[in-house]
Amino acid sequence: MYQVTSDAVRRVLTGVSTRLWLAGVVFVAGVVVAVSLGRLTAGALRRLGAPGVVEGTAFDRTTRRFDTTAVGIVSRIVTYGSVVVAGFAALSVAGTRAATQFWTSVAEFLPSVFVALLILLVGLIVGDKVELVVAERLKGVKLPQTGVIPTTIKYSVFYVAVLVALSQVGVQTLSLVVLLAAYVVAVVVVGVVAFHTLLTSAAAGVYLLLNQPYVIGDQVRIAGHRGIVQEVDLLVTHVESDSEEYILPNALVFREGVVRVRT
Amino acid sequence: MGSLSDVSETLVADIDGLVLFSPSSGHHQQFGSLDDTPVVVVATENPFDAERFVELPLEFDDVQDRIRYGLEGAMEHGFVEEGDVVACSAATFGDDPDTPDTLVRIRVDEGMRSGVYALFAESRADPSVISDVFEVAIELGKKGQKGKPVGALFTVGDAGKVMNKSRPLSYNPFEKSHVHVGDPIVNVMLKEFSRLDGAFVISDSGKIVSAYRYLEPSAEGVDIPKGLGARHMAGGAITRDTNATAIVLSESDGLVRAFKGGGLILELDPEDY
Repeated sequence: MYQVTSDAVRRVLTGVSTRLWLAGVVFVAGVVVAVSLGRLTAGALRRLGAPGVVEGTAFDRTTRRFDTTAVGIVSRIVTYGSVVVAGFAALSVAGTRAATQFWTSVAEFLPSVFVALLILLVGLIVGDKVELVVAERLKGVKLPQTGVIPTTIKYSVFYVAVLVALSQVGVQTLSLVVLLAAYVVAVVVVGVVAFHTLLTSAAAGVYLLLNQPYVIGDQVRIAGHRGIVQEVDLLVTHVESDSEEYILPNALVFREGVVRVRT
Repeated sequence: MGSLSDVSETLVADIDGLVLFSPSSGHHQQFGSLDDTPVVVVATENPFDAERFVELPLEFDDVQDRIRYGLEGAMEHGFVEEGDVVACSAATFGDDPDTPDTLVRIRVDEGMRSGVYALFAESRADPSVISDVFEVAIELGKKGQKGKPVGALFTVGDAGKVMNKSRPLSYNPFEKSHVHVGDPIVNVMLKEFSRLDGAFVISDSGKIVSAYRYLEPSAEGVDIPKGLGARHMAGGAITRDTNATAIVLSESDGLVRAFKGGGLILELDPEDY
């Protein structure tokens, strides 16, 4: 009787302890891998010049307030994610009853949460950066209303990032995608309608600039306007007669043709 | 007996305006808004959003040129009027704008209109194009071609008319090219092509239309100082026949001169920049 119980106790002890041992080893190894993975990410990001890219964005400023950097946050997310994965691996090795159906599904779900977080982060940074770049480009245009454009672009990028992140987590995003599609279609339609003449003029202007059928100083007649060509740019041609200067869209030049006057 | 501060007080007594030339931010904060005297800021850019602002196209090294330009611009904008007495604070020695070392008291009158302001602001070509060409000419005057002094003639604006009043000396090296003054490569290109004896023709928007042009204006009634050579005469004369501005770098004395409407408007020494 005593023999049987001690035997069983020993069996249980040895069985559990090897498993626990194994689980402990797996966890420690996992943590080491996680930390080095985080370091590796930070190093790779730094080498790719991420701090310079991120610099100046609103995200960068926020992270600075918390005494960290965007690179630090990304590498930390990678580290913690790997640690959690290692923890689950260790639990399953340990074979505890805790690793039931629920926890396995959580373990399967967690990586996608981390990926979604990363996507959200990248989306935030890219949105901020794009806003900065576009604002910089538009600086030359001294029109206060252009301030809307960078903000719109920024939130469009945010929206797409949120969409991708949500679909990564498995949320039904169909309605949001439909919304996005409607938005894109609206932008394209408005753009085509509003910029129709500009676009055709620009297409004609590209030909005029490349082939130069007439150059500055030529006498020409375009749609009944006769004069000396003063300037050819992408959208318009300046033709000047003695008393008047005609600014003609390049689309008109193409539709009506050009007469070069020989003198 | 006067005290030391009386010296400056007599300078600013009963002035109708204060003109700050390229003030630093501290300076601008201190004097940017006086109670009863309008303040005009003259600088290359307007970082403090000053209400009365005249843009300098070039950092005129000569303070007289700078003040003349600033006051002409202020007159043009209606910030000051003829008969006003203004005080100008500027830095004459040293480039540090934090320490304006000069206070000048000037009476504004029409006689001050030398056309320097109109040269930039009211030419056919963009002001930025004209100041770009000035910079190229100054650069060329400083360095020369392989250490030797070099001359050059640029006509800016009204390129169509200029092209019709000139003929090519040889093939145009800028044919079918899209080079604009202000592009980074331009300094080197122009330096090479300045060896060719002819004029550069630049359009209103800064496109280099042609090099190697022989200008054929009628030189009748062109009033330029005696002693200047054929290049200056051609440059001055073309500005009388067309609405172009001519910027000429002299090979003999190394000065950069600007002509408009057939007259000499501005003279700069490249060594000062």
